[in-house]
Amino acid sequence: MNIIEIKDLSFAYREEFFALNDVNLTIKRGEWISILGHNGSGKSTLAKLIIGLLKAEKGEIYVDGVLLNEETVHEIRRKIGIVFQNPDNQFVGVTVEDDIAFGMENLNFDREDMLNKIEEYSKKVNMFEYLKKEPHNLSGGQKQRVAIAGILAMNTDIIIFDESTSMLDPKGRESIMEYIRDLNKEGKTIITITHDMKEAVNSDRIVILKDGKVLAVGETNTILNDKETLNSSNLELLLPLKLLYKLDEANIKNEKVKNILWQLSLNK
Amino acid sequence: MKNIIVGQYVPGKSFLYKMDPRSKILALGILMVSAFVFKDITHIIYMLFGVLLILKIGGIPIMRIARGLRPIMILLLFTFSFQVMFIKTGDVVLETVLTLTYINLGLMVLIILGWYFTRTYIKSRFLFLIFVILGILTMLSLFTPGITISSSNFVVYEDGLLGASFIMVRLIIIVTLSTILTLTTKPTDLNLGLEKILRPLNIVKINSEEIALIISIALRYIPTLLDEANKIMLAQASRGVDFSEGKIKDKVMQIISLLVPMFIISFKRSDDLANAMEARSFIPGNPRSRIHILAWENRDTIVIIFCIVVLISTIAVRVFL
Repeated sequence: MNIIEIKDLSFAYREEFFALNDVNLTIKRGEWISILGHNGSGKSTLAKLIIGLLKAEKGEIYVDGVLLNEETVHEIRRKIGIVFQNPDNQFVGVTVEDDIAFGMENLNFDREDMLNKIEEYSKKVNMFEYLKKEPHNLSGGQKQRVAIAGILAMNTDIIIFDESTSMLDPKGRESIMEYIRDLNKEGKTIITITHDMKEAVNSDRIVILKDGKVLAVGETNTILNDKETLNSSNLELLLPLKLLYKLDEANIKNEKVKNILWQLSLNK
Repeated sequence: MKNIIVGQYVPGKSFLYKMDPRSKILALGILMVSAFVFKDITHIIYMLFGVLLILKIGGIPIMRIARGLRPIMILLLFTFSFQVMFIKTGDVVLETVLTLTYINLGLMVLIILGWYFTRTYIKSRFLFLIFVILGILTMLSLFTPGITISSSNFVVYEDGLLGASFIMVRLIIIVTLSTILTLTTKPTDLNLGLEKILRPLNIVKINSEEIALIISIALRYIPTLLDEANKIMLAQASRGVDFSEGKIKDKVMQIISLLVPMFIISFKRSDDLANAMEARSFIPGNPRSRIHILAWENRDTIVIIFCIVVLISTIAVRVFL
């Protein structure tokens, strides 16, 4: 069951300079997929195209069976939530409470319903005590949690995390990853966009983008085993993975060591 | 940078805090109109007492209002002097000849120098300034030894004095009333109240909800931008820009070195924010439900009726007396 289908998608910011070039991709309902790529590989552009913030030159995007175009864009946005990179630039409300409510207010939710949902989801992301606080009194990680609560309150099937952890400290990053894991278990389709392999290995599948093209798609295990593709992807490889490859090159066959390195690469 | 307070709001529990922001804004409007309807000095002084009564009920310390008046002190002084000097009708209150001689000119320079160097140590600087000006004027009229440089008549008329006091009291009333509003209402409530009051403007295609949203986003980003400005100033200082000193030409360069990055960052931010808002199903012009609601209660109705009574009686006084 595919929730998102992308067919022959191309996009150019300037003429003849394609940020995305003939991208084909299907995303299954309920899976956690990472879109992994170096800076300028077109991964954020892809997220903006899926949610209709940019308009594709060529190609089609289907979300839940609906073709994305000018008429359906608002309907599709109700199915997709997106947490952006910069915690400050997506905080619309004057207080935490206002920000969680913003999306619901746009969708004309009932006031009682909104107040209940604000309580429920602020508790879920551990921000209940902060409801009346202003954003400048919060840390980056807390702001991102508020953003997550705002999207959960809108009850979207798909949540995109567009480099959402890249501006956070390690602690904030870990807590956000924890929430992503939980949300995926609860049945949400998760798309994490990142340049950090350590983050990508947590997901079910990985898509590697390079210069606007899909370099590889596959199960996380398969992708990590594909030494040649990874080496040509311009990505910074994880240290245990690098070691594993080096051991292979040197023809050292210690299964125990290899197994430990493999587990470390998978962040387990 | 963690405790930036936007606006002048001071938390409190009095009657004025419990009122609906809409009724407070309306009451402010009505009372301001009344202040403009009065034409007689005695009536407006009654009104000043009324305003003091509001302060008493609201439990607002007079000192806080005085602080609110400080920025318009110079304006008050100017209007007062102009009124006194240029209205030449009514009875003569004071007539004197101001004579400038070499001796009192020297003394005047000394006094001004003395004022210049001591003013930073005086607590109420404004009163000190008035005291110095009055002192100089008295000296010019009474202490005139030596060779005369020039002399002129200085006459104060009754109408000038009354007109000047009248305008001063009226300005003080208006500023005090608006200070009461901003002291007792949170910026967000004020914004929400304005949104509701400006709703009739929708007829002429001005969307009050959008205006309110713009104001609330501006309020939300003031601390963020101040933080940003602070960071940029530190960054520029580390490159050798000295923000505290320099000639006017240097000052302009310093400000440019702050403003250019601020502008670029703000545009980037607003672009991101627009994306985030659109992604969360914001459609400009569409109706939105709200979590904040305003509760209009009986006390608000009573206050408004009272204010309207005040307005009507001021009009009556103006027409019939």
